[in-house]
Amino acid sequence: MDRAALWITLRLAASTTLILITLAIPLAWWIVRGRGLPRALVQGLVALPLVLPPTVIGFYLLIGLGPLTWAGRTLTHALGHPLAFSFAGLLLGSVLYSLPFAVQPLVAGFQAIEPGYLEAAEGLGAPPLKVFLGLVLPMARAALVTSAVLTFTHTVGEFGVVLMLGGNIPGVTRTVAIALYDQVQDGQYRAANISALVLVALSLAALMILYLQSHSGIRSRSSRSV
Amino acid sequence: MSNGNFLTVEIGAHLGSLHLDISFALTARWTCLFGASGSGKTSILRAITGSLLPDRGRIALGESEVLPGGQLLFDQATHLSLPPHRRAVRSAAQQAWLFPGTVSDNVGYGTSLRTRRDAVEEVLARFRLAALADTRVESLSGGERQRVSLARGVAAALHGDHRIGLLLLDEPFAGMDAPLRDQLAPELRDWLRERKMPVLSVTHDVGEPFLLRAEVVRVAAGKVTAQGPASEVLSEEKQRLRAMLDS
Repeated sequence: MDRAALWITLRLAASTTLILITLAIPLAWWIVRGRGLPRALVQGLVALPLVLPPTVIGFYLLIGLGPLTWAGRTLTHALGHPLAFSFAGLLLGSVLYSLPFAVQPLVAGFQAIEPGYLEAAEGLGAPPLKVFLGLVLPMARAALVTSAVLTFTHTVGEFGVVLMLGGNIPGVTRTVAIALYDQVQDGQYRAANISALVLVALSLAALMILYLQSHSGIRSRSSRSV
Repeated sequence: MSNGNFLTVEIGAHLGSLHLDISFALTARWTCLFGASGSGKTSILRAITGSLLPDRGRIALGESEVLPGGQLLFDQATHLSLPPHRRAVRSAAQQAWLFPGTVSDNVGYGTSLRTRRDAVEEVLARFRLAALADTRVESLSGGERQRVSLARGVAAALHGDHRIGLLLLDEPFAGMDAPLRDQLAPELRDWLRERKMPVLSVTHDVGEPFLLRAEVVRVAAGKVTAQGPASEVLSEEKQRLRAMLDS
């Protein structure tokens, strides 16, 4: 088992989830409250990674973060090293690639809250931040868990972006999914089997968290009708 | 802004098939907006709370003991529309919309943190909800939910952080048992009168304005058709009801 690859995979998935949840909460709320062309544009951009081949995102990031662009040169100068082929570059790629998996469950969760609750809170004098933090977020708790679990599992299974942007450097950017590919290429089927089982176990455990909380939701709803 | 009125409303709005063209002023401590379903009563309340933006007109709270100086809420001429949380009004909707938590959590939601404990205790007692203080709202009956929603609105009006000039109640006694309503309504009227809190409530129940000794603003198809004491504005309904009971 490539322990370094497992550590990088877990670190990448956890960091991506943390960053994306922080970004996705205000973005999803803006989408729910927004309207017209700006909202359609932002929703389209957020959903783009769902339909694009991961290699396209990886390619543009590789070029965009490299010496060919002003942004890439500025970043390289500021960091002292190119963002591509580093863990930070990998993280940026993962954040963009998993963006729809974080945002879309939250949009659905926020949309499911009846506007009457928000009007009732406003009618009691609650300012928008109090309504959002004290009412909207707790009511969208299930959507928050879904968003975090899907982002985590999706990042664990990433391949195209990670390979294009990370370059498969052992101990730096090689994740379990890449290690598995290498192991198969080298005919190491026993090692490949262990890597595959680790990915299955990680994804299954995360998805079980998701379904356990959705079942508890049904129980609590049925208890209300007593 | 001092014109002796608690509230002046002069607004127009297109709401689907309903054209709202409303003009009235509140001078009584408790006024009932009376009308059939779909006549625009709830839309008027929503325009006052700021949840609905009228196409034109003006809404202002007048000077009163509870709100010296009054407050301009909406003025299309100067493009002014205060956001809902800045308006010196508090409201309770027709549907309870209770927040997840206990009855106490809900009743205390709009109250000042400094005085919350005492305020919640007082309001729970007034609404005969003390025994349910720690009950989670999911297990309440429909009538209890309505009572908690009403108590929550009253608590926010009387015990909030800011001075409040008007309490808006949409069908406040709907869903309550008649004996409880007949007991609670006059008690609430006297208590709010004692606290000098003006109230505008919505009802389609003929008996309610009489029970509350309220002035009535009658609304039909988005327009005010009459305003005055319940005995005058609702005399026809009263006669009809009496004839029905006698037959």
